[in-house]
Amino acid sequence: MKSDKIHVDTLVVGGGIAGMQASLDLANQGHQVALVEHSPSIGGMMIGLSKVFPTLDCCSCITTPKMAATAHHENIQLLTYCEVQSVTRNDDGFSVQVIQKPRYVIEDNCTGCRSCELVCPLDLPDVENEFGRTAHRVIYVPFTTAVPQKAIIDIDSCIFCGKCIKACPADCIDFTQTPQTLRVEARTIILATGFKVTPYDAKKEYGAGNLRNVIDAMMMERLLAPTGPYGRVLRPSDGKLPDSIAYVQCAGSRDETLGVPYCSRVCCMYAIKQAMLISGALPMADVTIYYMDIRTFGKGYEQFYQNAKAMGIEFVKGKVGRIVEDEDQNPIVRVELIDDNSRVAENKHDLVVLSVGMLPGYDTQPIYDVATAKDGFVQIPDSNVAPTVTTQEGIFATGTATGPMDIVDSIITAGAVAAEASAYMHLHSGSPAAPAAD
Amino acid sequence: MPEQSDKSNPPEKELGLAPDPSPEEEPRIGVYVCNCGGNIGDVVNCKQVAEALRNIPNVVTSHSNMFMCSDPGQKLITDDIKEKGINRVVIGACSIFLHEQTFRQAVERAGLNPYLYYHVGLREQDSWVHYNHPEDATEKAIRLMLAGVAKARKMEPLEPVRLQAEKHALVIGGGVAGLRTALDIARSGLKVTLVEKSHFLGGRVAQWERVFPTGETARTLLQRLLEQVQAEPDITIHTGAKVVKTKGYVGNFQIHIRQQPRGIKADFDAVDQAIAACPVEIPDEFNYGLKTRKAIYQPYSGCYPAGPVVDWEHCTHCEKCLEFSHNHDINLDDTPIEFDINVGAVAVATGFRPYEPFPGEMGYGKFPEVITLPQLERLLAADGPTGGKLEWNGRSVRSLAMIHCVGSRQVDDVHQPQPDGQVNNYCSRVCCTATLNAANIIHERLPETRIYDVYTDIRTYGRGHEDYYTLASKNGVTFLRYFVEDIPEVYPAEKGSYYSMLVKVKDQLTWGEEIELPVDLVVLAVGMMPNPVDDLIGLFNITPGNDRFLLEVHPKLSPVETSVVGIVLAGTAQGPMNIQESCTAAAAAASKVVVLLGRGQVEMEPYVAQIDIERCQGNGDCVRVCPQEDAIKLETFSKNGTSFQRAVVTPANCNGCGVCVSTCSHRAIDVLGWRLDDYEAMVDAITAEIPVLEGVPA
Amino acid sequence: MAEGELPMATSTNNNRPKILILGTLSGGYRGADSVGQEHLEYPPNTYILPVMSAAIFPETFYMRAFERGFDGIIVMFSGTDCPYKGAPERTAEIINKTYELMKERKLDLNRLRLAAICTVCVRPFIEEVHKMEQLLDEIGKLPHPLPP
Repeated sequence: MKSDKIHVDTLVVGGGIAGMQASLDLANQGHQVALVEHSPSIGGMMIGLSKVFPTLDCCSCITTPKMAATAHHENIQLLTYCEVQSVTRNDDGFSVQVIQKPRYVIEDNCTGCRSCELVCPLDLPDVENEFGRTAHRVIYVPFTTAVPQKAIIDIDSCIFCGKCIKACPADCIDFTQTPQTLRVEARTIILATGFKVTPYDAKKEYGAGNLRNVIDAMMMERLLAPTGPYGRVLRPSDGKLPDSIAYVQCAGSRDETLGVPYCSRVCCMYAIKQAMLISGALPMADVTIYYMDIRTFGKGYEQFYQNAKAMGIEFVKGKVGRIVEDEDQNPIVRVELIDDNSRVAENKHDLVVLSVGMLPGYDTQPIYDVATAKDGFVQIPDSNVAPTVTTQEGIFATGTATGPMDIVDSIITAGAVAAEASAYMHLHSGSPAAPAAD
Repeated sequence: MPEQSDKSNPPEKELGLAPDPSPEEEPRIGVYVCNCGGNIGDVVNCKQVAEALRNIPNVVTSHSNMFMCSDPGQKLITDDIKEKGINRVVIGACSIFLHEQTFRQAVERAGLNPYLYYHVGLREQDSWVHYNHPEDATEKAIRLMLAGVAKARKMEPLEPVRLQAEKHALVIGGGVAGLRTALDIARSGLKVTLVEKSHFLGGRVAQWERVFPTGETARTLLQRLLEQVQAEPDITIHTGAKVVKTKGYVGNFQIHIRQQPRGIKADFDAVDQAIAACPVEIPDEFNYGLKTRKAIYQPYSGCYPAGPVVDWEHCTHCEKCLEFSHNHDINLDDTPIEFDINVGAVAVATGFRPYEPFPGEMGYGKFPEVITLPQLERLLAADGPTGGKLEWNGRSVRSLAMIHCVGSRQVDDVHQPQPDGQVNNYCSRVCCTATLNAANIIHERLPETRIYDVYTDIRTYGRGHEDYYTLASKNGVTFLRYFVEDIPEVYPAEKGSYYSMLVKVKDQLTWGEEIELPVDLVVLAVGMMPNPVDDLIGLFNITPGNDRFLLEVHPKLSPVETSVVGIVLAGTAQGPMNIQESCTAAAAAASKVVVLLGRGQVEMEPYVAQIDIERCQGNGDCVRVCPQEDAIKLETFSKNGTSFQRAVVTPANCNGCGVCVSTCSHRAIDVLGWRLDDYEAMVDAITAEIPVLEGVPA
Repeated sequence: MAEGELPMATSTNNNRPKILILGTLSGGYRGADSVGQEHLEYPPNTYILPVMSAAIFPETFYMRAFERGFDGIIVMFSGTDCPYKGAPERTAEIINKTYELMKERKLDLNRLRLAAICTVCVRPFIEEVHKMEQLLDEIGKLPHPLPP
């Protein structure tokens, strides 16, 4: 049972890979941590991915053990489906008001047996996880590997037929739940609020989301994931196996017209990775990547790129000006081929994937009074030497809250923020942090 | 091996009857086959494997599952332990190096001894290498799992060896990464000793002019960090010092350090005269050979620790400097000192060196007009050889070409390999933004100077880096793009030409046209290579990757840890990084050290030799062959009035090398967890006939 | 490919020769993982067992493995990079003694190989396996039971 007042050393905001890793590193140092996540499960964006570069490990194999370790750690309290409402500074650090949103399922009693899902008569499109390509019940466990494995009810869609109440062996359905307020007293706060992708319908030249066979890379991740909607790569309009797939790089980054002048760092590598996975899943398919610069800068990344070229993935330096479709809804990419006398070509593909970029997931200014830079991510005044220190004393930031970065870099900055927060607490108490959970 | 002498024999011990072997618990084995999200299941028929294992003796339950490592997957195991009384667990999944610990913890949570778990690698060693032979891969999986079950029948509960850990860490390297690591470890309450092989701290950053993305000078940044380090009482710094010998393991490394003397007292007041008097002149490495220095030198004024040192390698002992020495301020007979420290963990922050182009590579070493980017940084620095003026032959540089990817992203058969036969096929990550940063600084100082940027891909990936690219374009930098198959050529212009050098580029931005760029100066944006650390690799048993940088265990699961527990990596010893990335990695490394040592105790695997005292005949073969010190010895026991000798193991000193096991003719020794009997049972399981498999649901 | 569509192992107890690989955790076993990470292929009739140190195995262990049905054995230790002082020398010594026993039983000595394989020795690993595979293709499986 969550008590309504929690004393911890550190409140970590955001249960994606950076937040989990920061929590684990602090907890393993003996600090008490509360981890707030606004979704019903931790895991963040990473848990939705298929396989990850540069090792091509199955993403779940990296994420789910960290989720389990976070959930089972004796020094970590998970506050899922919760949102921070307000933060006030006091002598010991911060007093934080957190709202626990109602699941309409008694969290402590639910065993995740999913009996309720079997009897619930209504299906809803799974928008959160699958872009509406599959369905879940009105009462549902968010996804197979969710942590915690607890059901939740989409109360707006519920018809209150009561079937789940009868089916639930743990007697934990409660339609009367209301938002609860928790108070967390913490000495430090770590913002691991993550990113969202640039909207794939933002660019009217690329069809503004109206072309059915133009999707974004997150949707492709799901198509490639073993837990994905179809278990294979099919194109949306007619369920056909695509023979020709194109990636449009920088479709949301390095583009002043979208207000995203910066590089999103991950798109080159994920496009190459997806291209490799597609080549494995659809050996006959041609994959073309239209790019401006290939930025495979990380450890082992350049070698990954060279492997992709050797596998036959085609890299074409060119600026995609426009995407239209023919009468069969095949996307036609109009591209200026920089390597070929700047000739303008119109190439027909079965499926086009927009390599969308990263935007800040959350504005830290209103609640935390933590300044953001002109790119909208958390401002880091001394970014070279103190890469996790924000403009507010005692509040630190990590992962993609501080700018686009890949999983490897997020995990490393999470280790760094743990060191920074630990050092801060040590300096401000003179002794190792005392365990202080109520 | 020291001979056993009589006087070292311990007093006789009474040998009681060996305790009855505890009534053996009947093994109840749970078998789980992970699909690994298709990584295994796309090749190996996991259901069939699970089915094949179901009906063999001692197997109580056998499943396949999409993700065994997920929470629901782990719950499957813990539920079976609690509900079905499973007391041995065998999982076929990814590599043991990834998730063995995960599953051990799960098993432990359910109340089982974590060593009653056996992990079979079905991904890296089966599905990922036999994807064209799914049937054979499935058969292999079945046989390996059968071997796992055979082992599981014999597994016994084990307890980790618990050792006191020094709350003290060693940081090797005094560049930004080492300083940052030391600071973060110390600020979390542990002691730190930092050793730096040169006589000064600051590493490569001290040689830089102005850094991205903050725009401050490298010196300001370094100063800030150094002040914090100096203010930290728990950090001890040894410069001119090297690790020369190591012993021990996590929690208790004994480190032997040799420190070169400085030869000159810190308060020596006639520095300039002594330097002037020194007749030795050698290339100044701090300025990348752009000027010379003496055998008494300090790299730059304001360096830390302050004051000059004697370069022992080049000093000729002419004693001319001694003229200015009072009170033995200069001591040319100073000798190195050696001392030991005990630490619990080690952070390797040994940094990088810039790629050194081969003689003649793009004209380097052949024409003085061809320099590297680090050399350019020295020319731009206020305390550099030209006082910050970018001049060539007495006048400001009017035109220069900067060529990217020199020593990075190299390709076999195009580039000359390093002595190990490998080319640098990696991206060095920092050169693109560093080059554009330098271009912008040059434009600021010399707006009329023409700058050509010759690249393959511009990789301004980091936060704020793209702004440098945009600004360079605005500043009128001309970009040309080359392909690796058409490396730009650098050669001198005809005598009397306005510009002395020409760079020929097959420019892909202008349809592959060959363009000759007339320039005063050519700057090669050289990549990074790790500082050579073969000595440390040998001393600590850590591993470099194919790119020669030190290797982490896994980029996501253990991104700064080496395969040796207690040894972590900080900064560019691990791979190319910029300052921000080095400091981040360094802080992450510090975090891991604090996790390891913060509690003052570390746990080690219980894989040490164990004597079966009933079988031991006390002939001492094991004692003679044991390569460790004090790991195994003969002790005298007595029983019923007769005394005899038996071997005894000191677990903390045994590393489980197993040399004694194969030596014992009575099979009285085993390494716990890795018994010979286990292997024989596994061999039998793999070679056994498998009943023909039928009726497995598709 | 969905799991249901996968072919099942049918040819159990097939007649392919079997190769036992003893791979050290600091050498060959990790090397084999590296091969997997690069998705390179080698024949599936290879069975890799992880060992801490190959020095635990006496000569009799190898002979027994031949008797029980293995046709070739490769010991992949870490050679001079071995974390255990003295262990690689001891392993080499035992292998040499095993060769004596193999001679007595008239076994082709190439059926047992000692190879230094590092954690990233991808190509050497593949070469070793192929070498053994080729040898067994030429000289065939061991008779069963093994003549005394």
